[in-house]
Amino acid sequence: MFDYIINVSGYILEGSIVTFQLYFVTAIFSVIVGIAGALGKISKIPLLESILSLYTWIFRGTPLLLQLFFAYYGLPVLGITLQPFPAAALTFIINYGAYFTEIFRGGIESIDEGQYEAAKVLGMNYRQTMSRIVIPQTVKRVLPATSNEAINLVKDSALVAVIGLGDLLRSAKVAVTRDFSIVPFIIAAVFYLIISSVIVTVFRKLEEKYSVYE
Amino acid sequence: MIKAKDIYKNFGELEVLSGVSFEVQQGEAISIIGPSGSGKSTLLRSLIGLEEINSGELYIEGISVKESGKKAYEKMGMVFQGFNLFPHKTVLGNLMEAPVIVKGEKKAKAEAKSETLLKKVGLSDKKDSYPAQLSGGQKQRVAIARALAMEPDIMLFDEPTSSLDPELVGEVLTVIRDLAEENITMLIVTHEMGFARDVSDRVFFMDHGKIISDTVPEKIFVNPESERIQSFLTKILSQN
Repeated sequence: MFDYIINVSGYILEGSIVTFQLYFVTAIFSVIVGIAGALGKISKIPLLESILSLYTWIFRGTPLLLQLFFAYYGLPVLGITLQPFPAAALTFIINYGAYFTEIFRGGIESIDEGQYEAAKVLGMNYRQTMSRIVIPQTVKRVLPATSNEAINLVKDSALVAVIGLGDLLRSAKVAVTRDFSIVPFIIAAVFYLIISSVIVTVFRKLEEKYSVYE
Repeated sequence: MIKAKDIYKNFGELEVLSGVSFEVQQGEAISIIGPSGSGKSTLLRSLIGLEEINSGELYIEGISVKESGKKAYEKMGMVFQGFNLFPHKTVLGNLMEAPVIVKGEKKAKAEAKSETLLKKVGLSDKKDSYPAQLSGGQKQRVAIARALAMEPDIMLFDEPTSSLDPELVGEVLTVIRDLAEENITMLIVTHEMGFARDVSDRVFFMDHGKIISDTVPEKIFVNPESERIQSFLTKILSQN
Protein backbone atom coordinates (compact mmCIF):
# COMPACT_ATOMS: atom_id res chain seq x y z
CA MET A 1 0.00 0.00 0.00
CA PHE A 2 2.77 2.42 0.97
CA ASP A 3 4.61 1.72 -2.26
CA TYR A 4 1.41 2.29 -4.18
CA ILE A 5 0.88 5.67 -2.53
CA ILE A 6 4.44 6.73 -3.37
CA ASN A 7 4.01 5.53 -6.90
CA VAL A 8 0.71 7.24 -7.53
CA SER A 9 1.91 10.41 -5.78
CA GLY A 10 4.82 10.53 -8.19
CA TYR A 11 2.44 10.13 -11.10
CA ILE A 12 0.09 12.81 -9.84
CA LEU A 13 3.02 15.11 -9.09
CA GLU A 14 4.00 14.88 -12.74
CA GLY A 15 0.53 16.05 -13.65
CA SER A 16 0.81 18.89 -11.16
CA ILE A 17 3.60 20.42 -13.28
CA VAL A 18 0.94 21.53 -15.75
CA THR A 19 -1.14 22.85 -12.86
CA PHE A 20 1.79 24.90 -11.58
CA GLN A 21 2.66 26.21 -15.03
CA LEU A 22 -0.90 27.29 -15.59
CA TYR A 23 -1.05 28.79 -12.11
CA PHE A 24 2.00 30.98 -12.45
CA VAL A 25 1.36 32.06 -16.02
CA THR A 26 -2.18 33.04 -15.04
CA ALA A 27 -1.17 34.70 -11.77
CA ILE A 28 1.47 36.90 -13.39
CA PHE A 29 -0.40 37.94 -16.51
CA SER A 30 -3.85 38.31 -14.99
CA VAL A 31 -2.47 40.70 -12.37
CA ILE A 32 -0.89 42.75 -15.15
CA VAL A 33 -4.19 42.72 -17.06
CA GLY A 34 -5.96 43.67 -13.81
CA ILE A 35 -3.70 46.67 -13.12
CA ALA A 36 -4.00 47.90 -16.70
CA GLY A 37 -7.76 47.33 -16.65
CA ALA A 38 -8.19 49.13 -13.34
CA LEU A 39 -6.17 52.13 -14.52
CA GLY A 40 -8.24 52.16 -17.69
CA LYS A 41 -11.47 52.02 -15.75
CA ILE A 42 -10.56 55.05 -13.63
CA SER A 43 -9.10 56.91 -16.61
CA LYS A 44 -12.31 58.86 -17.27
CA ILE A 45 -11.99 58.05 -20.96
CA PRO A 46 -15.60 57.06 -21.71
CA LEU A 47 -14.91 54.67 -24.59
CA LEU A 48 -12.20 52.84 -22.65
CA GLU A 49 -14.42 52.61 -19.59
CA SER A 50 -17.28 51.17 -21.65
CA ILE A 51 -15.08 48.59 -23.30
CA LEU A 52 -13.63 47.51 -19.96
CA SER A 53 -17.06 47.37 -18.35
CA LEU A 54 -18.25 45.13 -21.17
CA TYR A 55 -15.16 42.98 -20.68
CA THR A 56 -15.62 42.48 -16.92
CA TRP A 57 -19.37 42.05 -17.35
CA ILE A 58 -18.94 39.20 -19.82
CA PHE A 59 -16.08 37.40 -18.15
CA ARG A 60 -17.33 37.67 -14.60
CA GLY A 61 -20.89 36.90 -15.64
CA THR A 62 -20.37 33.66 -17.55
CA PRO A 63 -18.96 30.35 -16.32
CA LEU A 64 -15.22 29.89 -16.59
CA LEU A 65 -15.91 26.42 -17.96
CA LEU A 66 -17.97 27.91 -20.78
CA GLN A 67 -15.14 30.31 -21.57
CA LEU A 68 -12.71 27.42 -21.59
CA PHE A 69 -14.91 25.42 -23.97
CA PHE A 70 -15.27 28.49 -26.14
CA ALA A 71 -11.50 28.93 -26.41
CA TYR A 72 -10.78 25.28 -27.06
CA TYR A 73 -13.80 23.97 -28.96
CA GLY A 74 -15.43 27.20 -30.12
CA LEU A 75 -12.56 29.15 -31.63
CA PRO A 76 -11.60 26.36 -34.11
CA VAL A 77 -15.03 26.87 -35.67
CA LEU A 78 -13.90 30.42 -36.41
CA GLY A 79 -10.67 29.08 -37.80
CA ILE A 80 -8.52 29.69 -34.71
CA THR A 81 -7.15 26.48 -33.30
CA LEU A 82 -5.28 26.60 -30.02
CA GLN A 83 -3.38 23.82 -28.28
CA PRO A 84 -4.89 22.88 -24.91
CA PHE A 85 -2.35 24.72 -22.77
CA PRO A 86 -2.43 28.07 -24.63
CA ALA A 87 -6.22 27.84 -24.78
CA ALA A 88 -6.40 27.25 -21.03
CA ALA A 89 -3.80 29.90 -20.17
CA LEU A 90 -5.46 32.50 -22.38
CA THR A 91 -8.89 31.80 -20.90
CA PHE A 92 -7.65 31.93 -17.33
CA ILE A 93 -5.66 35.13 -17.86
CA ILE A 94 -8.63 36.89 -19.43
CA ASN A 95 -11.07 35.56 -16.82
CA TYR A 96 -8.93 36.35 -13.79
CA GLY A 97 -7.85 39.62 -15.37
CA ALA A 98 -11.52 40.64 -15.31
CA TYR A 99 -11.82 39.88 -11.60
CA PHE A 100 -8.55 41.67 -10.81
CA THR A 101 -9.66 44.67 -12.87
CA GLU A 102 -12.66 45.10 -10.57
CA ILE A 103 -10.75 44.31 -7.37
CA PHE A 104 -7.95 46.75 -8.19
CA ARG A 105 -10.37 49.41 -9.41
CA GLY A 106 -12.24 49.20 -6.12
CA GLY A 107 -8.95 49.37 -4.25
CA ILE A 108 -7.71 52.41 -6.13
CA GLU A 109 -11.04 54.19 -5.73
CA SER A 110 -10.96 53.58 -1.99
CA ILE A 111 -7.87 55.77 -1.66
CA ASP A 112 -8.82 59.15 -0.24
CA GLU A 113 -8.94 62.11 -2.62
CA GLY A 114 -6.69 63.95 -0.17
CA GLN A 115 -3.81 61.66 -1.12
CA TYR A 116 -4.02 62.85 -4.72
CA GLU A 117 -4.26 66.47 -3.59
CA ALA A 118 -1.27 66.13 -1.28
CA ALA A 119 0.75 64.55 -4.09
CA LYS A 120 -0.35 67.27 -6.50
CA VAL A 121 0.61 70.19 -4.28
CA LEU A 122 3.99 68.55 -3.75
CA GLY A 123 4.46 68.67 -7.51
CA MET A 124 4.03 64.98 -8.34
CA ASN A 125 2.70 64.09 -11.77
CA TYR A 126 0.10 61.38 -12.47
CA ARG A 127 2.61 58.60 -12.90
CA GLN A 128 4.49 59.46 -9.71
CA THR A 129 1.25 59.83 -7.76
CA MET A 130 -0.02 56.45 -8.89
CA SER A 131 3.21 54.51 -8.57
CA ARG A 132 4.51 56.05 -5.34
CA ILE A 133 1.36 56.99 -3.42
CA VAL A 134 -1.83 55.35 -4.68
CA ILE A 135 -0.81 51.88 -5.87
CA PRO A 136 1.32 51.01 -2.80
CA GLN A 137 -1.65 51.80 -0.56
CA THR A 138 -3.98 49.93 -2.89
CA VAL A 139 -1.84 46.78 -2.64
CA LYS A 140 -2.50 46.58 1.06
CA ARG A 141 -6.23 47.04 0.64
CA VAL A 142 -6.66 44.48 -2.12
CA LEU A 143 -4.55 41.78 -0.47
CA PRO A 144 -7.48 39.94 1.16
CA ALA A 145 -9.53 39.85 -2.06
CA THR A 146 -6.45 38.91 -4.08
CA SER A 147 -5.72 36.11 -1.63
CA ASN A 148 -9.21 34.71 -2.25
CA GLU A 149 -8.66 34.78 -5.99
CA ALA A 150 -5.28 33.13 -5.61
CA ILE A 151 -6.90 30.21 -3.79
CA ASN A 152 -9.78 30.06 -6.26
CA LEU A 153 -7.27 29.82 -9.06
CA VAL A 154 -5.73 26.67 -7.55
CA LYS A 155 -9.12 24.99 -7.62
CA ASP A 156 -10.28 26.45 -10.93
CA SER A 157 -7.13 25.16 -12.58
CA ALA A 158 -8.62 21.67 -12.27
CA LEU A 159 -11.17 22.66 -14.93
CA VAL A 160 -8.54 22.24 -17.62
CA ALA A 161 -8.87 18.45 -17.19
CA VAL A 162 -11.99 18.69 -19.35
CA ILE A 163 -10.06 19.88 -22.40
CA GLY A 164 -7.63 17.05 -22.04
CA LEU A 165 -4.77 18.80 -20.27
CA GLY A 166 -2.85 16.37 -18.09
CA ASP A 167 -2.98 18.38 -14.91
CA LEU A 168 -3.03 17.29 -11.29
CA LEU A 169 -6.69 16.29 -11.27
CA ARG A 170 -6.57 14.50 -14.60
CA SER A 171 -3.58 12.43 -13.49
CA ALA A 172 -5.50 11.42 -10.40
CA LYS A 173 -8.55 10.50 -12.47
CA VAL A 174 -6.44 8.41 -14.85
CA ALA A 175 -4.92 6.59 -11.88
CA VAL A 176 -8.34 5.99 -10.33
CA THR A 177 -9.67 4.47 -13.55
CA ARG A 178 -6.52 2.47 -14.17
CA ASP A 179 -6.11 1.05 -10.66
CA PHE A 180 -9.74 1.00 -9.59
CA SER A 181 -8.72 2.70 -6.34
CA ILE A 182 -9.98 5.76 -4.54
CA VAL A 183 -6.53 6.58 -3.15
CA PRO A 184 -5.40 8.82 -6.06
CA PHE A 185 -8.34 11.15 -5.45
CA ILE A 186 -7.39 11.44 -1.80
CA ILE A 187 -3.78 12.14 -2.73
CA ALA A 188 -4.94 14.77 -5.21
CA ALA A 189 -7.07 16.37 -2.50
CA VAL A 190 -4.05 16.45 -0.18
CA PHE A 191 -1.96 18.08 -2.91
CA TYR A 192 -4.59 20.78 -3.47
CA LEU A 193 -4.79 21.41 0.26
CA ILE A 194 -1.03 21.75 0.53
CA ILE A 195 -0.89 24.21 -2.36
CA SER A 196 -3.78 26.27 -0.96
CA SER A 197 -2.21 26.33 2.49
CA VAL A 198 1.09 27.57 1.11
CA ILE A 199 -0.74 30.36 -0.71
CA VAL A 200 -2.72 31.31 2.39
CA THR A 201 0.51 31.45 4.38
CA VAL A 202 2.24 33.59 1.79
CA PHE A 203 -0.63 36.07 1.78
CA ARG A 204 -0.82 36.12 5.57
CA LYS A 205 2.87 37.04 5.66
CA LEU A 206 2.26 39.76 3.10
CA GLU A 207 -0.63 41.14 5.11
CA GLU A 208 1.51 41.17 8.24
CA LYS A 209 4.23 42.99 6.36
CA TYR A 210 1.80 45.65 5.19
CA SER A 211 0.09 45.98 8.55
CA VAL A 212 3.05 47.90 9.99
CA TYR A 213 1.59 51.21 8.99
CA GLU A 214 -1.89 50.93 10.41
CA MET B 1 4.17 87.81 -4.81
CA ILE B 2 0.58 86.87 -5.52
CA LYS B 3 -1.74 88.87 -7.69
CA ALA B 4 -5.34 87.81 -8.21
CA LYS B 5 -7.67 89.73 -10.46
CA ASP B 6 -11.38 89.17 -10.70
CA ILE B 7 -11.39 85.46 -9.93
CA TYR B 8 -14.65 83.64 -10.61
CA LYS B 9 -15.31 80.04 -9.75
CA ASN B 10 -18.50 78.07 -9.81
CA PHE B 11 -19.42 74.50 -9.03
CA GLY B 12 -22.21 73.89 -11.49
CA GLU B 13 -24.93 76.43 -10.71
CA LEU B 14 -23.32 77.54 -7.49
CA GLU B 15 -21.01 80.52 -7.72
CA VAL B 16 -18.37 80.16 -5.01
CA LEU B 17 -15.99 82.94 -5.95
CA SER B 18 -17.59 86.05 -7.36
CA GLY B 19 -14.85 88.35 -8.49
CA VAL B 20 -12.02 88.09 -6.00
CA SER B 21 -9.07 90.43 -6.38
CA PHE B 22 -6.14 90.94 -4.07
CA GLU B 23 -2.39 91.25 -3.89
CA VAL B 24 0.01 89.74 -1.42
CA GLN B 25 3.54 91.03 -0.90
CA GLN B 26 6.63 89.01 -0.10
CA GLY B 27 6.76 88.07 3.58
CA GLU B 28 3.15 88.92 4.39
CA ALA B 29 1.02 86.68 6.54
CA ILE B 30 -2.61 86.85 5.53
CA SER B 31 -5.48 85.33 7.44
CA ILE B 32 -8.65 84.57 5.55
CA ILE B 33 -11.71 84.50 7.77
CA GLY B 34 -15.41 84.42 7.18
CA PRO B 35 -18.47 82.22 7.52
CA SER B 36 -18.68 78.68 6.15
CA GLY B 37 -19.38 78.54 2.46
CA SER B 38 -17.98 82.00 1.86
CA GLY B 39 -15.35 80.62 -0.54
CA LYS B 40 -12.26 80.77 1.70
CA SER B 41 -11.05 77.25 1.03
CA THR B 42 -11.98 77.42 -2.63
CA LEU B 43 -9.92 80.57 -2.98
CA LEU B 44 -6.90 78.90 -1.40
CA ARG B 45 -7.34 75.76 -3.48
CA SER B 46 -7.65 77.83 -6.65
CA LEU B 47 -4.32 79.48 -5.97
CA ILE B 48 -2.49 76.15 -6.12
CA GLY B 49 -4.51 74.57 -8.90
CA LEU B 50 -6.63 72.14 -6.91
CA GLU B 51 -9.60 74.01 -8.32
CA GLU B 52 -9.66 75.42 -11.80
CA ILE B 53 -10.93 78.96 -11.91
CA ASN B 54 -13.60 79.86 -14.45
CA SER B 55 -12.29 83.30 -15.15
CA GLY B 56 -9.92 85.89 -13.85
CA GLU B 57 -6.18 86.27 -13.76
CA LEU B 58 -3.76 84.81 -11.30
CA TYR B 59 -0.06 85.53 -11.04
CA ILE B 60 2.32 83.81 -8.66
CA GLU B 61 5.64 85.61 -8.49
CA GLY B 62 4.83 87.14 -11.83
CA ILE B 63 4.12 83.77 -13.45
CA SER B 64 0.70 83.53 -15.03
CA VAL B 65 -1.16 80.45 -13.84
CA LYS B 66 -3.03 80.36 -17.10
CA GLU B 67 0.16 80.16 -19.12
CA SER B 68 2.38 77.98 -16.96
CA GLY B 69 0.38 76.62 -14.08
CA LYS B 70 2.77 73.93 -12.97
CA LYS B 71 5.66 76.34 -12.70
CA ALA B 72 3.54 78.76 -10.69
CA TYR B 73 2.27 76.06 -8.33
CA GLU B 74 5.82 74.91 -7.60
CA LYS B 75 6.35 78.10 -5.66
CA MET B 76 3.71 77.12 -3.14
CA GLY B 77 3.25 74.54 -0.44
CA MET B 78 -0.06 73.60 1.10
CA VAL B 79 -1.25 72.21 4.42
CA PHE B 80 -4.69 70.62 4.59
CA GLN B 81 -7.31 70.40 7.28
CA GLY B 82 -7.19 66.60 7.06
CA PHE B 83 -3.34 66.37 7.04
CA ASN B 84 -3.25 64.02 4.02
CA LEU B 85 0.00 62.44 5.11
CA PHE B 86 1.06 59.35 3.18
CA PRO B 87 0.08 56.55 5.58
CA HIS B 88 2.38 53.95 4.03
CA LYS B 89 5.48 56.03 4.58
CA THR B 90 7.28 56.94 7.77
CA VAL B 91 7.45 60.53 8.93
CA LEU B 92 10.87 60.85 7.36
CA GLY B 93 9.58 59.14 4.21
CA ASN B 94 6.75 61.64 3.98
CA LEU B 95 9.21 64.52 4.08
CA MET B 96 11.74 63.03 1.67
CA GLU B 97 9.29 61.76 -0.94
CA ALA B 98 8.74 64.90 -3.00
CA PRO B 99 12.28 66.34 -2.80
CA VAL B 100 13.70 63.03 -4.01
CA ILE B 101 11.03 62.07 -6.54
CA VAL B 102 10.00 65.47 -7.89
CA LYS B 103 13.15 67.53 -7.49
CA GLY B 104 15.58 64.65 -7.89
CA GLU B 105 17.51 65.54 -4.76
CA LYS B 106 20.09 63.08 -3.46
CA LYS B 107 18.66 60.96 -0.67
CA ALA B 108 21.35 61.96 1.81
CA LYS B 109 20.67 65.63 1.19
CA ALA B 110 16.91 65.22 1.42
CA GLU B 111 17.29 63.22 4.61
CA ALA B 112 19.50 65.83 6.26
CA LYS B 113 17.09 68.57 5.27
CA SER B 114 14.12 66.56 6.49
CA GLU B 115 15.73 65.97 9.85
CA THR B 116 16.38 69.67 10.25
CA LEU B 117 12.74 70.39 9.47
CA LEU B 118 11.53 67.76 11.92
CA LYS B 119 13.67 69.35 14.58
CA LYS B 120 12.10 72.67 13.76
CA VAL B 121 8.58 71.32 14.29
CA GLY B 122 9.74 69.43 17.38
CA LEU B 123 9.32 65.90 16.07
CA SER B 124 12.84 64.57 15.66
CA ASP B 125 12.02 61.56 17.79
CA LYS B 126 9.13 60.58 15.51
CA LYS B 127 11.04 60.31 12.25
CA ASP B 128 10.62 56.53 12.01
CA SER B 129 6.98 56.49 13.11
CA TYR B 130 4.11 56.00 10.72
CA PRO B 131 1.38 58.68 10.58
CA ALA B 132 -1.13 56.34 12.23
CA GLN B 133 1.03 56.36 15.35
CA LEU B 134 0.89 60.15 15.73
CA SER B 135 -1.60 62.48 17.37
CA GLY B 136 -3.49 64.96 15.21
CA GLY B 137 -1.26 67.82 16.26
CA GLN B 138 1.84 65.81 15.45
CA LYS B 139 0.40 64.82 12.07
CA GLN B 140 -0.24 68.42 11.19
CA ARG B 141 3.27 69.43 12.21
CA VAL B 142 4.65 66.68 9.98
CA ALA B 143 2.42 67.94 7.16
CA ILE B 144 3.84 71.44 7.62
CA ALA B 145 7.39 70.08 7.57
CA ARG B 146 6.58 68.02 4.48
CA ALA B 147 5.38 71.13 2.64
CA LEU B 148 8.47 73.06 3.75
CA ALA B 149 10.75 70.29 2.46
CA MET B 150 9.95 71.49 -1.05
CA GLU B 151 11.25 74.94 -0.07
CA PRO B 152 8.20 76.91 -1.17
CA ASP B 153 8.15 80.69 -1.22
CA ILE B 154 4.49 80.73 -0.23
CA MET B 155 2.66 78.52 2.26
CA LEU B 156 -1.08 77.97 2.11
CA PHE B 157 -2.88 76.69 5.19
CA ASP B 158 -6.44 75.43 4.76
CA GLU B 159 -7.99 75.36 8.21
CA PRO B 160 -4.91 73.68 9.67
CA THR B 161 -6.36 73.27 13.15
CA SER B 162 -10.04 72.64 12.42
CA SER B 163 -9.89 68.87 12.79
CA LEU B 164 -7.75 68.91 15.92
CA ASP B 165 -8.78 68.37 19.51
CA PRO B 166 -8.69 71.73 21.30
CA GLU B 167 -5.67 70.83 23.40
CA LEU B 168 -3.64 70.07 20.26
CA VAL B 169 -4.38 73.33 18.45
CA GLY B 170 -1.68 75.28 20.28
CA GLU B 171 1.28 73.20 19.17
CA VAL B 172 0.33 73.61 15.50
CA LEU B 173 -0.31 77.33 15.80
CA THR B 174 3.07 77.75 17.46
CA VAL B 175 4.77 76.21 14.46
CA ILE B 176 2.86 78.44 12.05
CA ARG B 177 3.64 81.47 14.19
CA ASP B 178 7.36 80.63 14.00
CA LEU B 179 7.08 80.54 10.23
CA ALA B 180 5.39 83.92 10.19
CA GLU B 181 8.33 85.30 12.12
CA GLU B 182 10.69 83.93 9.49
CA ASN B 183 8.81 86.04 6.98
CA ILE B 184 7.58 83.22 4.82
CA THR B 185 4.67 84.48 2.77
CA MET B 186 1.54 82.74 3.95
CA LEU B 187 -2.18 82.60 3.52
CA ILE B 188 -4.11 80.95 6.30
CA VAL B 189 -7.77 80.06 6.25
CA THR B 190 -8.67 79.85 9.89
CA HIS B 191 -11.37 80.06 12.51
CA GLU B 192 -8.85 80.82 15.24
CA MET B 193 -9.56 84.52 15.63
CA GLY B 194 -7.01 85.18 18.36
CA PHE B 195 -4.34 83.59 16.21
CA ALA B 196 -5.41 85.51 13.12
CA ARG B 197 -5.22 88.70 15.07
CA ASP B 198 -1.75 88.00 16.48
CA VAL B 199 -0.05 86.58 13.46
CA SER B 200 -1.41 88.28 10.39
CA ASP B 201 -0.25 91.39 8.69
CA ARG B 202 -3.60 91.61 6.97
CA VAL B 203 -6.94 89.87 7.30
CA PHE B 204 -9.28 89.09 4.43
CA PHE B 205 -12.89 88.78 5.46
CA MET B 206 -14.83 86.79 2.90
CA ASP B 207 -18.56 86.55 2.45
CA HIS B 208 -20.58 85.14 -0.45
CA GLY B 209 -17.54 84.61 -2.63
CA LYS B 210 -16.09 88.06 -2.21
CA ILE B 211 -13.42 89.64 -0.06
CA ILE B 212 -15.51 92.29 1.64
CA SER B 213 -12.75 93.53 3.88
CA ASP B 214 -8.99 93.54 3.36
CA THR B 215 -7.31 95.35 6.18
CA VAL B 216 -4.99 95.18 9.19
CA PRO B 217 -6.19 92.89 12.01
CA GLU B 218 -6.79 95.71 14.50
CA LYS B 219 -9.30 97.22 12.18
CA ILE B 220 -11.31 94.03 11.82
CA PHE B 221 -11.10 92.84 15.37
CA VAL B 222 -11.21 96.09 17.28
CA ASN B 223 -13.31 98.28 15.06
CA PRO B 224 -15.14 96.17 12.52
CA GLU B 225 -16.57 98.61 10.06
CA SER B 226 -19.35 96.49 8.66
CA GLU B 227 -22.24 94.98 10.52
CA ARG B 228 -21.72 91.69 8.69
CA ILE B 229 -18.21 91.30 10.15
CA GLN B 230 -19.37 92.39 13.57
CA SER B 231 -22.13 89.80 13.71
CA PHE B 232 -19.78 87.08 12.44
CA LEU B 233 -17.19 87.88 15.09
CA THR B 234 -19.77 88.04 17.86
CA LYS B 235 -21.06 84.65 16.82
CA ILE B 236 -17.70 82.96 16.50
CA LEU B 237 -16.25 84.48 19.67
CA SER B 238 -19.24 83.40 21.71
CA GLN B 239 -18.55 79.82 20.62
CA ASN B 240 -15.07 79.84 22.11
